Amino acid sequence: MNNWLSRLLASSTGSEPLSEQARQTLARWAALPEPDLARAHFETRYVVVNTESSGLDLDKDRVLAVSAVGIDGGILAPQDSYYAVLGEHPAEALTGLLQAVGKAPLIVFNSAFNRTMLERALEEHLGLAADWLWIDLYFALPALFPERFERPTRLADCMSSFGIETFQRHHALGDGWAIAQLFLAVQARALAQSALSPRGLADLERSYRQYRRKV
Amino acid sequence: MTAIAADLLVGASTDFLRNFSPFNRMEPGALAFVAERAVLAFHPRGSDILTTEMGVPRHFYIVQRGKVQARQTGPTAVTEYASLTLGPGECFPIGAISAQRPSTNAYVAVEDSFCFQITDEDFLQLMQMSPVFHLFCTQYIASLLNQSRQQLQTTFSQRAAEQQTMTTPLGQLVKREPVCVGPYTPTRAALEQMNAQHIGCLVIVDDENHPVGVLTQSDLLPRVILAGFDLERPIGELMTANPHQLAATASAYDAALEMATHGVRHLLVVDAEGRIKGVVSERDLFSLQRISLRQIRAGIENAPDVGALQRASKDIRQLALNLIAQGIGAEQLTQFISALNDALTRRVIQLALERHDLVGIDFGWMAFGSEGRHEQTLSTDQDNGIIWRCPEIEAVGPIRQRLIAFAREVNTGLAECGFPLCKGNIMASNPELCLTLDEWKSRFGSWIREPVPEALLNASIFFDFRVLYGNERLGDQLRTWLNKIVRGNSAFLRMMAGNALQVAPPLGRLRDFVVEDDGTIDLKKSGARLFVDVARILALRTGVDSSSTAQRLRQASVKMGVSADEVAAIIDGFHFVQLLRLRAQHLESENDGQADNRVDPDSLNELDRRILKESFRQARKLQLRLKLDYQL
Repeated sequence: MNNWLSRLLASSTGSEPLSEQARQTLARWAALPEPDLARAHFETRYVVVNTESSGLDLDKDRVLAVSAVGIDGGILAPQDSYYAVLGEHPAEALTGLLQAVGKAPLIVFNSAFNRTMLERALEEHLGLAADWLWIDLYFALPALFPERFERPTRLADCMSSFGIETFQRHHALGDGWAIAQLFLAVQARALAQSALSPRGLADLERSYRQYRRKV
Repeated sequence: MTAIAADLLVGASTDFLRNFSPFNRMEPGALAFVAERAVLAFHPRGSDILTTEMGVPRHFYIVQRGKVQARQTGPTAVTEYASLTLGPGECFPIGAISAQRPSTNAYVAVEDSFCFQITDEDFLQLMQMSPVFHLFCTQYIASLLNQSRQQLQTTFSQRAAEQQTMTTPLGQLVKREPVCVGPYTPTRAALEQMNAQHIGCLVIVDDENHPVGVLTQSDLLPRVILAGFDLERPIGELMTANPHQLAATASAYDAALEMATHGVRHLLVVDAEGRIKGVVSERDLFSLQRISLRQIRAGIENAPDVGALQRASKDIRQLALNLIAQGIGAEQLTQFISALNDALTRRVIQLALERHDLVGIDFGWMAFGSEGRHEQTLSTDQDNGIIWRCPEIEAVGPIRQRLIAFAREVNTGLAECGFPLCKGNIMASNPELCLTLDEWKSRFGSWIREPVPEALLNASIFFDFRVLYGNERLGDQLRTWLNKIVRGNSAFLRMMAGNALQVAPPLGRLRDFVVEDDGTIDLKKSGARLFVDVARILALRTGVDSSSTAQRLRQASVKMGVSADEVAAIIDGFHFVQLLRLRAQHLESENDGQADNRVDPDSLNELDRRILKESFRQARKLQLRLKLDYQL
């Protein structure tokens, strides 16, 4: 992790200065212990993060809203969730997200877009480059369910394969909730294939990605 | 902002529930109560969601997507359906969670399924707050009761006829026509018959229906598959010639003896002319034994005094010895012993309660150690305690005095029935072990906070508790609390693990076994304990409620991603060690010696020695897993 904290305190981020409350939230977040990535799934809290943006162009478009859905010990509880529109106060929305996420390993769908967008927004508004473990279901799903998906597949098709529905598509939380349900299935299958921990699952996802590149 | 997100997700659950009865008729407040508390979990195809062995259900489930099958378990069917498939919007279990007892059904995901779940406490609260839901549940239970009453009436007449014993002639035990083929039948055709008729044992007969050979399912792997046997060749080349047979007039007992002597699972029953009449399997005989178990049980439940219970206690011992002689598996055997000892203990308690007025005191009689794990062998002393709750207006001291006076009588009664008083004073009459729920919590809590050697030793005895008589809820509450506290304390689990690894399986580098100075192995200390200690840690770590070693391993392995085959091999290993202990105790008690757990490996036959070695390898595998998990 680079020394974002000092940059943050110097307030060299270009955008509006952070409120005292936001600074405290950030400091608390920074002080959280790093997660043990070798622990079993049933002892781990994962968080599904998702974004909603003005469009699909990584260069031009911006994040409009962010969401988080926690999965703790294989259980998805509605109370453990977060949604915020960036709007006028993007720093507040993003510190809220950090608070909801903690340092849990992150689950994302299509990290090439969502992770990039989110990391850029965190950098821009909070001057933060966080060092999370990211697991991308776009690759983990075909790696674990080859009988369902021959190749990485878009979210709508993954959902329909499991019969998963959501209250609103293309909404950060609506899609996030669907991704979280997909992740419940991923976790169970990963266990059956001896990817027993966040680290194990991340390794599996990465090796599938490398394998795809070679093909 | 978090609230907005939660509201959206709760709204999604509400919309889902509204499509189904009884939620569509439910009061708005009650529906919101469910939706706010419902959490979602995934159950892959083929996985158990809830079984009888998991004990009192902790959750009430609502299928969100997928299919869940309810299958009846246990010896008698309670309702007319054998299995029932539940789809989206359907709920389970209703009867078991309302009555706070283990489910009689096993609920298995037959497709990849998502289920909402709420806790049992929320379920009970929902019953109170929602008349609609209350009615839904009670009507459901009433319809089940009605079905079960009809079932009882129709089976009652049958049951009287089924009162057979080990003296029943084999002719009466044959249930179906035997499946026979001639010795020249091509093997493929013969095996197709076995498969089509679902039989474990095929009889090969000559032209006059005299049996000339048998083929059982267990022969297939070594003789057909591994040997690459050509299926076009006649079955006569494959069968076991000169099969074991008995006359139809011989008794079930003769058959059991024959099976035990020759180590076979099937016997052919022939008529006076030597013609095949049928096949009797080990399982057919086993079901007979259950009836005499039932008789002992009835004897216990109706015993008027401790004197009658003493006789029942001798019967239990004798039955256990017979069962060992007949080669029954250790798991069933220890379960029987445990079930009968439980019944006996309950009766001793009931008799004591006639003289001690404890009305209004909410208490549970706890069993610890091997009794707590349902793993009693023939020589087990008492390990028990009391958990109770003090009514708010009363003082703790006087109630404790009354409970202790009562416990003293139970302890004495149990001692008269052959359960020696505990030398370490782990008995309910010990004021230190007659504690309120809060006192137990603080006792357990102090061991977890300061895991000194003595605390770890205590944990290994007392954490294997279960409530055997009285208010089981108290035990459940203590278990839930304990699992939660331990989960958040990996340092304690690590200490427990270190402790469990102090004894290694007695496997040698040069010789097969490492023996003690007298040439024996202690099957308790260096055998069963290896499995028991690891299972306890895994159960605490994964939050499994069961206190039995086999169940703990089975249920924890699901969460830890250990394959079913792997865990089955480990459990088989554990049971084999238990069986050897029981056999050793059996021999000791016949010679009037002090029953103990020692076996001299040189005295075992070659087969048993090899299985014992394999069992220790399984123990080592289990320990290795713990070593890796805790980096020890």
